[in-house]
Amino acid sequence: MSLALPVYLIDDDDSVRRSLRFMLESYGLKITDFDSAEAFFTTVDLTLPGCALVDVRMPGLSGPQLHLELVAKNSPLAVIYLTGHGDVPMAVEALKLGAVDFFQKPADGARLAEAVVKALEHTKAHHQDNQYLETYQALTPREREILNLIAQGLKNQEIADSLCIAMRTVEIHRANLMKGMQVGSLAEMMLIYSRIAERLRLEDNR
Amino acid sequence: MLLRMMKTVFRLAVSVKWPLSILSTLHSVAIPRKKPRNAVLFLCLLASVKVFAAEPLNQSVHSGLTDSEVVAQVAIEEPSYQVVDVGVLAIRGYKATINRWQPLMGWLETQIPNSYFRLHPLTLDELAKGVETQGLDFVITNPGQSVMLARQYSLTWLATLRSPLNNGAAMQVGSALVVRADSPYHTLSDLKGRRLGIVSKNAFGGYLTLVYEAQLKGIDLPRFVGEIIPLGFPLDNLLYQLDDQKSGDNTAKDNRLDAAVVPVCQLEQMQTEGLINIGHYRVLDNQTPVGFHCQVSTRLYPNWSMAKTNRASQSLAKSVTQALLALPEDHLAAKSADSAGWTTAVSQLAIDQLLKDLDMHPLQTPWWQRAWQWVKLHQQWAWFVLGILVLLNAYHFWLEYRFSRRGRELINTQRQLNENRALLEHAQRIAIAGELGASLSHELNQPLAAIGHYCHGAEVRLQRGTSPEELQSVLALIQQEVTRADNIISRLRNLLKKRPVSKQPLYLHELVNDTVPLLAYEFEQHQINLAVNVSGEPYLQSLDEVGMQQLLLNLLKNAFDACVQRLELESSGTEQSVMHKPYVPTIDIDLRYQERTLLLTVTDNGTGLTEETSLLMQAFYSTKSEGLGLGLVICRDIAESHGGTFSLESAMGGGCQAQVAIPRKPEPNGVL
Repeated sequence: MSLALPVYLIDDDDSVRRSLRFMLESYGLKITDFDSAEAFFTTVDLTLPGCALVDVRMPGLSGPQLHLELVAKNSPLAVIYLTGHGDVPMAVEALKLGAVDFFQKPADGARLAEAVVKALEHTKAHHQDNQYLETYQALTPREREILNLIAQGLKNQEIADSLCIAMRTVEIHRANLMKGMQVGSLAEMMLIYSRIAERLRLEDNR
Repeated sequence: MLLRMMKTVFRLAVSVKWPLSILSTLHSVAIPRKKPRNAVLFLCLLASVKVFAAEPLNQSVHSGLTDSEVVAQVAIEEPSYQVVDVGVLAIRGYKATINRWQPLMGWLETQIPNSYFRLHPLTLDELAKGVETQGLDFVITNPGQSVMLARQYSLTWLATLRSPLNNGAAMQVGSALVVRADSPYHTLSDLKGRRLGIVSKNAFGGYLTLVYEAQLKGIDLPRFVGEIIPLGFPLDNLLYQLDDQKSGDNTAKDNRLDAAVVPVCQLEQMQTEGLINIGHYRVLDNQTPVGFHCQVSTRLYPNWSMAKTNRASQSLAKSVTQALLALPEDHLAAKSADSAGWTTAVSQLAIDQLLKDLDMHPLQTPWWQRAWQWVKLHQQWAWFVLGILVLLNAYHFWLEYRFSRRGRELINTQRQLNENRALLEHAQRIAIAGELGASLSHELNQPLAAIGHYCHGAEVRLQRGTSPEELQSVLALIQQEVTRADNIISRLRNLLKKRPVSKQPLYLHELVNDTVPLLAYEFEQHQINLAVNVSGEPYLQSLDEVGMQQLLLNLLKNAFDACVQRLELESSGTEQSVMHKPYVPTIDIDLRYQERTLLLTVTDNGTGLTEETSLLMQAFYSTKSEGLGLGLVICRDIAESHGGTFSLESAMGGGCQAQVAIPRKPEPNGVL
C-alpha cells in the first residue's frame, strides 16, 4: 500500500508544520517533519521513494532549491509545494521542475491528502523506473545496442546484418538481455524500455 | 551745535540773573526788628508800620526807604540808642563766639555814641538767611561765606581781621588735614576709602579749601575718600573724635574717623587752651609758609572780614570802619578775637576763583535752571524735541502692538504646524504599513493556516471514529494560533492608530524585538541577515512607544531598501562583481544601554549614502521613486522629541549607519 511510504514535511514555521502534520496524519499518512532543507538532507535517503511537502520560502535553502537538488540527484522523491501566498510564475517554475502539485496555505486537507496519495503513486513509479534504468545501465554496450534495434522493430536477421555479426550471436545476446532485464517476455521488456526511453533520451541530450 | 547754543543761553541766563537778584533784594519787605529793647524803639516801629499802612498800595515808595532811614527818621524825632545787629559765624559754639566777639561790640559802642551793638552768633545758613531777610546790619564771617554772601546780597566789605601771629597778615584761612600721630597715613592720597570728618560741606576753611587743593592734585575728594561725615560746629568735636583717648571706649573702632579737616590754627589754638595734646595729632601735606606759625595742608586765603549789609547806613558803616581800623593791637577786643586788630578789606579774588572751580559759586545757577532758561529761549527746539519724543513713543507702542499680534499669529502657526506634523507622522506610518503589506499578510497567514489545518485534521479524525475527548488538545493548539494572530493585528493597529504622544517607561530592546518580526519575512525573502545585538544593563526609559517603533521601522526599511537595491545591482551587474566575494546583505541593530545615553545604531551594507545628509533630512526629499521623503525627517523629529539626536553617516565598507542617541532619564520613582 502506497500510504506506507514516508511523507516528509519541510517548513520553518513550527505552528504551521505541526498543524499540517496533525491534519495529514488524520488521513493515515506517515509523516516525518523537518524545520529546514538542510535537516532534511542530512537525514533522508534520497534514493528511496517518498513524498516531500516543501515550504517555498525558508531561511537557508528554499523550496525550489531543495527541489533542484533532488532532480540533480535523480531522486524518486515526489515534491509538493506549499506557499504562504502563491504566485503564478513560481508555480509554473515548480511544475516545470516536475512538482506534483502546488498548494497555498491554508491548504484544503482533502485535496492535499489526495495530492499526497498521487505523489506517492508517482514516487513508486519513479522509483521503479530508476530500478529499470539501473538494470539497463548494467547491460553491456552490445546488449544495449541490440535492445535499441529490437525496440525499433528489427528481426534477428536484420539485426545481425546491420551489425555485421552472426545470427547466432544475436540470439545469444538476446537471451542474455532477457535474463539481465529480469523479464519473461519480449512484450514486458518492450514495456520497460518504453518507460526508460524518455529518460535515456534526456540523458543522451545531456 | 546744540552745545554751543546751550553755552550762549547759560551766559545769557547768568547776566539776567545778576540784576534780577539785586532787584529781588531791593524789593524784599523788611522784617520787624527782633526784641525791641524799649518803648521808644517800639514806637519807632509803630511809626514805620503807620508809614506802611498809609501807603499800602504804593510799594515803590516803601521799598525806596530802607529800614535804617526809617530808624534815622524816628531817631531824629526822639534821640535814643541806635541798635545795630551784627551777625557772626559761630564756628566754635555759641559761648565761644560770644567770648570772642563781644569785646569788639563793646569797643564799637564806645567809639560810636548812642549805639547798641547786638551780637548774633549764627550758623552758615542762618547767616545767609539773616542777610536775605535784612535782619542784620553787619556780618562778620569767614572768607568762603563772605564771597557767597557778597555775591548774592549787597554787601560792602569794611575791614579784614589781622592775624596776631603772622606779623598781622590778613591771609589767615586754610585747612589742616589732621590724622592721629600713630596712623599710617602720610599724604592725602593715602586716605582712599577712609572716613573723613568735616564740619560742614559748606565750611570754607574747614572743607572747601581742601577740596580745591585736592582737585588741583587731580583728586575728586568726595568720591576719593570712603565716607565724609559732617559733624557740625563746634570744631572741637572733630579733634576729640579723631583722638582715641578723648573719644572714649563706647565709640566702636569701625566708627572712628580716620582723618579730620579743621580750619588752620584750630589745632594750635586748642593746644594753647589746654584742650588737647598736639603730640597726638599729625597734619598731612603740611605746606606752612615761611613765618606762619600754624600747620596747614592748603594755601592760605584772606582772614575773617566784616561787611555791611544794605540795612546799615553809609554813615554808620563809615564810623564802624573807622572804629575797627582804630582798634589797637593789644586791646582786649583784638586779643579776644585772636587778632591784631583790623586792616582794610583784602581782595577776595582767590576765593572767587576757588568757588568757581569747585562749581559752587553763588553766581552759577543750577544746571536745571540753565536748562529751563534754554528751553524758554528756544521754544521751537523744545517743541521739536517733545514732538519727536511723542512720535517715538507712538511708534514704540505701534511696534509693540504689531509685535504682540505677530506673536499670537506665530503661536497659532506653531500649533497648526504641530497638528500637521502629527498628521504627517500618521500618514507616514500608514505608508510604512502599506510597504509592510507583504510581510504582514504572511505573518497573519501563518497562524490562520495553522488554525485551518488543525480544524480540518480534527474533522477528518472525528469522521474516522476518533473520540472527541482525544481531540481536546487540538483546541488548545488552535487557541495558541488565535492569540498569535491577535498579537499581530494589535501590533498593526497600534502603528496605525492616531494617537496623542504619550511616553511611558519601557525597555527599548523589547520594542526592538517586537518590531523586527514585522519585517522578518521580507528580510528572509531577500536572504538579508539581520543581527540584533543588545549590550549593557537594560533599564527602563520613558519612550513614546509608537513613535520609537515608527523610527525603528523607518530605519530598518531604509536599510532593507538599500540592501535590495545593491542586490539588484550585483545580480544585473557585470561579471566583475562575481569575481569578488559574493555580496551578503547584512543589517545590524546595535542597542547599547550606556550609563548616560541610550544608543541605537542601525548599520547596513547596502548602496550607502549618495546625497548630502542635510539634504536627506529635508522633508519631501527622497531618492526613491515611490518615497514620500518623510522617513528621515520623522526619525529626527521623534529622536528630538525624546531630547535626543539623530545622525546619519556612511558606514565602513559602503552602506549607511543611522544612529539615535537618547539621554538617559532616571524614573521619578527612583527605579532606573
